Amino acid sequence: MSVRELQQAVEAGDKDRATALARELAAKGTDSLKIIGALTEVMGQVGEKFSRLEIFLPEMMMAGAAMSAVVELLAPQLKGRKSGEPKGRIVLGTVMGDLHEIGKNIVKLMLETQFFEVKDLGVNVDPIVFIKEAESLGAQVIGASSLMTTTMPHQEEIINLLKDKGLRGKYRVVVGGAPVNQSWAEEIGADLYCPDAGSAPRMIGELLKPS
Amino acid sequence: MSTPYRLWEVQDRSNTGPFCDENDFLPKNFSPKLKEVVKKYQIKYDPKNPVPSDDDLADRVWQAGWELFREVGLYNTDTHRIIKAGDQEIKEALYMHPGEYWVGAGKDAVLWRHRQVEDRRTPFCLFSPDCTCSEELHYSMCLAYLKEPLLDGFCAPILESSIGQRIASASPFEINGSTQHIYNLRLAAKQVGRPGTFLVAVGTAEHDSGQIAVSNNEWGVRTTDARIIGTLSEFKTANTLLNRVVHCAQYGCYAGNLTGAIYGGWCGGSEGVAVTTVAYSLNGLLNYGAIFNQHFPFHLNWGSNTTRELLWPIAVAGQALSRNSKLLYTSNGFSNAGPMTEMVFYETACHALVSTVSGWDLWEMASARNKHRNRATPLEARLGMEVGHAAARQGLTRGQANEIANRILAKYERQAADAPLGAEYQDCYHAATALPTQEHLDMYRRVKDDLAGMGIQFPY
Repeated sequence: MSVRELQQAVEAGDKDRATALARELAAKGTDSLKIIGALTEVMGQVGEKFSRLEIFLPEMMMAGAAMSAVVELLAPQLKGRKSGEPKGRIVLGTVMGDLHEIGKNIVKLMLETQFFEVKDLGVNVDPIVFIKEAESLGAQVIGASSLMTTTMPHQEEIINLLKDKGLRGKYRVVVGGAPVNQSWAEEIGADLYCPDAGSAPRMIGELLKPS
Repeated sequence: MSTPYRLWEVQDRSNTGPFCDENDFLPKNFSPKLKEVVKKYQIKYDPKNPVPSDDDLADRVWQAGWELFREVGLYNTDTHRIIKAGDQEIKEALYMHPGEYWVGAGKDAVLWRHRQVEDRRTPFCLFSPDCTCSEELHYSMCLAYLKEPLLDGFCAPILESSIGQRIASASPFEINGSTQHIYNLRLAAKQVGRPGTFLVAVGTAEHDSGQIAVSNNEWGVRTTDARIIGTLSEFKTANTLLNRVVHCAQYGCYAGNLTGAIYGGWCGGSEGVAVTTVAYSLNGLLNYGAIFNQHFPFHLNWGSNTTRELLWPIAVAGQALSRNSKLLYTSNGFSNAGPMTEMVFYETACHALVSTVSGWDLWEMASARNKHRNRATPLEARLGMEVGHAAARQGLTRGQANEIANRILAKYERQAADAPLGAEYQDCYHAATALPTQEHLDMYRRVKDDLAGMGIQFPY
C-alpha cells in the first residue's frame, strides 16, 4: 500500500479501493496534505488526458468521484490547515432560460479537483441568484455558462446587475459555453472567457492572482 | 401518422415513470448501459474507414441503439421521472411511420422520403446557417439561402436583436424577435418566388412561449412547416420541451427532434456516438412524435463533426437507420473553419458525401463551429448539397465514398484544432443583392473542380 497505489486507484475511478487505501495510509500516519497533494497531481493528469480526449467524460467523472470520496474521508484532518484552504470560491451555473448542464458540470469537476470551492447553482439560474449566492458564499468568482445563443444575454445581465448594485468590483465574472467567444466576453465586459473546461482551473487561478 | 405517437400516454409517463435522482441518471443509468451494449454488440471504431461498408455492423448498431433507448428511456428533469417505452411500442411506432411526408405548400411542396444506403435518389436538402445573425443582415441572409437552387427546406439564422433590442430567451423580446424572424422569412420566401417553401422555424425562440407565439397559417409558421424540439444531452428533457411537443401536435405542424450526441462526453467515443444517435431517433419518434430527426453529433472540444472520429459514427448510424427503419433523418454538419476558406468547403463536401451514401438527408452547414455571429453563408452549404446530389446520382458506393472521403480529409484534418475563422457573411456576400462576391465564388469553384478531380461527377 502506497500513495502511488492510491493515485492509481483514483485514476482508475475505483472509489472503494481509493477510500480503503486512503484510510490505511492515514492510519499509518501519512500526512493528509501529502495524500491530497498526490491526488491533486494525478487529477491534473487525468484532466489533461480528458482535455486531449484520450479518456472520456465518464472516466473522468469516476476519477473525480473517487478523489472526492478520499477528500471527504480526510476532511476532519484537513480542517484549519492552511494548505487545505481552497484556491478560490466560485458560484457556477447555467444562465436563465438554459437547461444545458454538461459543460458547466465538467468545469465544476475540473475546478473541484484542483481545489477550488465551487457552489453549483444548477441550470436556468436567475441572474440575481448568481449574485445572492456569491454574496452568501463569499465567492470571488461568478461563473456563468450558456449553451444557447438566445440565453447569452443573461450573462450580460449578471454584469449589469452587479454594476447597478455597486458590486462590480467585488466579483470576477467568467463566461463560457458553446456559442460564447472572446469577442462576446469583451462586448459584455466579462473578466474572463474560458474556451474549455480543461483550461478553467489555470485561467481562473491566474485571474485570482494578486496583480 | 402525423401526430405524436400516443401523445397523452407518453406524457403521462413524466408523472408515473420510474423515479431517478438527476445526478444518478447519466453516470448510473445511461453511461453503463451504453458501454454494455457497445461491448455486447461488438461495435468497434475503425479510424481508417470513415465510411464503413459493413451491413452487419450497421445492423448491430441498430440493435444496440434500440436496447439503449428501451433500457435507459428519457429523463424529465422537471418531474425526475423516466419516460420509458417497451419493444411492442417501438415496433408499433416504427410500423406507423409512413416513411415519407409532403412538406411545404403549393408548388413548393416537396415529398420527403426515406433514403436507402447508396440510394440513387438525391438527398432532401435542408439549408441552414445555424448561427446567430445581426438584425440588419437577417433578411439578406434569408434571401441568400432561399435563392439556392437545391434548397428543399430552410432554417433561418437566429436573430440577435429586434428593433435594436437584444433578444433574451423567455423574455418579451424573444416573442418580438420570433415574430420578426418569421416575417423576414416569409417575405424573403415570397420575394424569391418560393412562398410555400418548407420552413423549420423559428430558431430565435429558445423558449416554448416564443415558439407558440408564431404559430399562424396566415403570417407565421404554418402547419406545412416544422419545429425542431431539442433533447438535452444526453437523453434528458424538460417540460418546456414537452410543451412544444404538445403544441406541435395540437397546432398540426410537423415536429423534428434535435439531438447532438457528444463525442468525448457521456457517449464516450465514436462507438457510443453511433449507438446514441440511433437511440435518439427512436426517442424522437416515440416521445416527441417527430416525423424527422435532426442529428448533429459533435466533438466535445471543437464543437464540430467533420473529422473522422465523428464521420464514422455518422456513417454507421445513418446506415443503421436506413437499413432497419423507414424514418427520416438529417445529418447536420458543423465545420471547424469559417466562411470563405477552402477548408470549410472541403469539410462540408466531406460531411455531405459521407452522409449521403449512408442514407442520410442533408442539413448544411453550421460553419465556424456555430460559434460566431454572421459566420455562415449559403455557398458552403451549396457545395455540400451539390456533392450530395452528385454522389447519389452517380451511384457512389460506400467503398468509393470512403476512398474519396479519406482524400478530402487529408486536405483539412490536421488543421481541425486551429481552423481559420474565415469571413462574416457581409464580407463575402453583397448584402443588398444577397449574392456572393466574385472572390468567394472563385474559391468555391476551385474547390469544386478539385473535388471533381477526385471522382465526384457534378451535373453542372
